Amino acid sequence: MTSRSLGQFYPVASPVHDLDPRAKILATAVFVVGLFLIDSTVGLLFVAAALVALVTMSRIPAGTFLLLLRPVLFIVALTVLFQVLFSREGVTLAEWGFFEIRSGGLSLGFFLALRILLLVSSAGLLTATTAPVALADGIEDLLSPLKRVRFPAHEVAMMMTIALRFIPTLGKEAEKIKGAQAARGADFSEGGPLRRARSLVPLLVPLTVGAFRRADELAEAMESRGYRGGEGRTRYRELRFRKRDALALAVTALVLLIGVLL
Amino acid sequence: MRLELRDVRYVYAPGTPFEVEALRGVSLVVEPGEVLGIVGGTGSGKSTLVQHMNLLLTPTGGEVLVDGVDATTLKKSELRRRVGLVFQFPESALFAPTVEEDVAFAPRQLGLDEEEVQERVLESLRALEAGELAARSPFALSGGEKRRAAIAGVLAMKPEVLVLDEPTAGLDPATREDLLALILGLRNAGISVVLVSHDLDEVAEVADRVCALQEGRVRAIGTPAEVFYREPAQAPATVRVASLLRESKPEIGAPVRFAETLDALRALQGA
Repeated sequence: MTSRSLGQFYPVASPVHDLDPRAKILATAVFVVGLFLIDSTVGLLFVAAALVALVTMSRIPAGTFLLLLRPVLFIVALTVLFQVLFSREGVTLAEWGFFEIRSGGLSLGFFLALRILLLVSSAGLLTATTAPVALADGIEDLLSPLKRVRFPAHEVAMMMTIALRFIPTLGKEAEKIKGAQAARGADFSEGGPLRRARSLVPLLVPLTVGAFRRADELAEAMESRGYRGGEGRTRYRELRFRKRDALALAVTALVLLIGVLL
Repeated sequence: MRLELRDVRYVYAPGTPFEVEALRGVSLVVEPGEVLGIVGGTGSGKSTLVQHMNLLLTPTGGEVLVDGVDATTLKKSELRRRVGLVFQFPESALFAPTVEEDVAFAPRQLGLDEEEVQERVLESLRALEAGELAARSPFALSGGEKRRAAIAGVLAMKPEVLVLDEPTAGLDPATREDLLALILGLRNAGISVVLVSHDLDEVAEVADRVCALQEGRVRAIGTPAEVFYREPAQAPATVRVASLLRESKPEIGAPVRFAETLDALRALQGA
């Protein structure tokens, strides 16, 4: 695990960071749905340009943001490969025995690759510009209408907060245990798949034991501070939906609409 | 073996807002068969420093030398056998079903034959007064027993330098005494020990030399007497007592260990 993991919050001050988390969550949802309604490459490129502008506004360095896309590059490459090799549309550009590359496959591959990258980027921008706690507050608030049908909105949001909060903690713990086992001669990179899987045992067992211990400790700490669930619980940070949040949401919807029409 | 760190620098997460300069040019030597104490406040770079001793962390600048040879040119597995590193709270890395198997992990990784492995397991456990724990599950032990088992797991590699990062943190007094005795025993057997600790009295008790770190730099290095009398704010209790007395009775000298201080006081009383 690297110190910068997928979609980690990137704490800088920017107009994007400053938006209400609910506006950002809704805008991301609109964005994702919109992506699947767009059926032209031109439309996707237009939306991509808008997203690039948004990333620039968020003051996250382009290099850092691109790191976020690294884990999906494999899927993207695979998608493109399949489209290029097996599509039977358009004019044939090259041929090797059974395989042939056609223009239709190339353009479809490009279209799908762009869609996947945009999908991941939009979700990544949300988590990179929104502190985990704010994100959970936003989700809780958006889910709160469901409380009427007894949906445990607060509990779900609390679980998400805790899960998000503990990702870096467990990452650090894993790093430490990995170091401790490496000091005892463990090698996590040598041998075939089976040997490598087995070499993970000295890492995974202590990590699991530690996670359970932490869960216990956290539950006790929460109870000792009087936590009893969401009933009647107030907030230190009240969410406020301002004009610019509505504006951001409207602009996102507009950009996607144009993308769909293009 | 002689372990030397030359102007070692280390930066965590360079080029991000999380960037931290943990070591800003640390030079020190661990001489063969000495106990080197490393003290310093939280965040002074102690834990980062010790992870450079077996190259778990690669320095961003400077070099680590093993008997004068650049450590990066050595085989990593060999280096990690020769420099045994015990992390802070090492018990969090216990994983095997029994203590015996856990301690056997490192010697098995070294590719030793089973007979030799068993011998080392017993020897290491005995050195930590933990022989009777061999067949038990490491997860069912007390805190002190877990710590003993975890340290035995590194000792079983028969390192030439043993690096202990806060080995006595949160321990009961008996286990702690045993550990300090083990450190002295290892030194007498010619093994170097690096002891990182917040407990100045314990460092005074066993260290031949002390290195005080502050904000990623060496603030002072020398014999315990030199370092502790020069930095009264960071002196162990016995040194503070002796320092007070020295103002009127310079003949008390510069005692550092508890026993030395007592002896000096007795001598004064007799005079």
